[in-house]
Amino acid sequence: MPELPELDPVVHGKLRLAVLSLLVGVEEADFTWLRDKTGSTDGNLGAQMMKLEEAGYVAMQKRFAGRKPQTLYRMTPAGRKALAKYVSALKLLLGGAL
Amino acid sequence: MADFERQGGVTRAELVQRVALMEEMIAEGRQSTARYGWMFVLWGLTYFAAIAWTVALPYTEWAWPVCIAACSVVFGIVRTRQPRTGGKIDNLRRHSLDAVWQVIGGGIVLYLIAVIVSGHGKEPGYLAAVLFFNGLANGVSARILRWWPQGAAAAIWWGCGTAMLFFTTRTEVLALFLTATFCGMILFGLYAMWLERHDAGMVQAHA
Repeated sequence: MPELPELDPVVHGKLRLAVLSLLVGVEEADFTWLRDKTGSTDGNLGAQMMKLEEAGYVAMQKRFAGRKPQTLYRMTPAGRKALAKYVSALKLLLGGAL
Repeated sequence: MADFERQGGVTRAELVQRVALMEEMIAEGRQSTARYGWMFVLWGLTYFAAIAWTVALPYTEWAWPVCIAACSVVFGIVRTRQPRTGGKIDNLRRHSLDAVWQVIGGGIVLYLIAVIVSGHGKEPGYLAAVLFFNGLANGVSARILRWWPQGAAAAIWWGCGTAMLFFTTRTEVLALFLTATFCGMILFGLYAMWLERHDAGMVQAHA
């Protein structure tokens, strides 16, 4: 029997997976947009974004839009690779049903 | 199936839930938060207002410049006051669409003003070009969005533009211009607005 793949725990977290899935379709997105789309709180999202940053899956940039500070996130190549690997693992685990 | 359930306590139901979450979020990420339908309706009504002025009011040489200027002011005011439905989202498709409409839209406005002010406004060939420009913008946009209703709008603009080169009396030219404006701008804009409302309702229903 072939060995079952392991799921990357950083990607597997529900909110982190939601964020990565959102970021995969855009060039960059700001914190507020990610919070609104995922329906999470500032604190929870901030903590999860930090974990993704530490894993090297997203890159953060702070800038000003007029006078308002803005925190922008974009997915890194490592993040794309991790998400692709996660999807492949899911496919295997679900028996190619995807 | 039960094999992976023993590994780390991950169940099949949980994995299926993750797949659904990914699909939903990817779709959300690709969904534009911008609202465009009203812009088509506004510009369509501007075209109608300008034509009505040239037919029924004096100082006809001012009809297009004044209507376009008034429309630009309204456009700017509405755009700046429009509530933001999300944060900053920036993707290539959005860039491409903005580029198409800014460059071709700006070109159409400049061309229209130049044609009218230079006194060529009554020549069908010059007016047909306006229709072709509009068809071009809609056609490129339709290709980017892979959205056939906008492709149909482009076809209407091009069809009326072509017809204008063969049917050249003032009445025929006016009828073709108004038909293209009504179908390719006002009706299409209303359809886009309906879709935007429909999509917003879908998102709320799933929230």
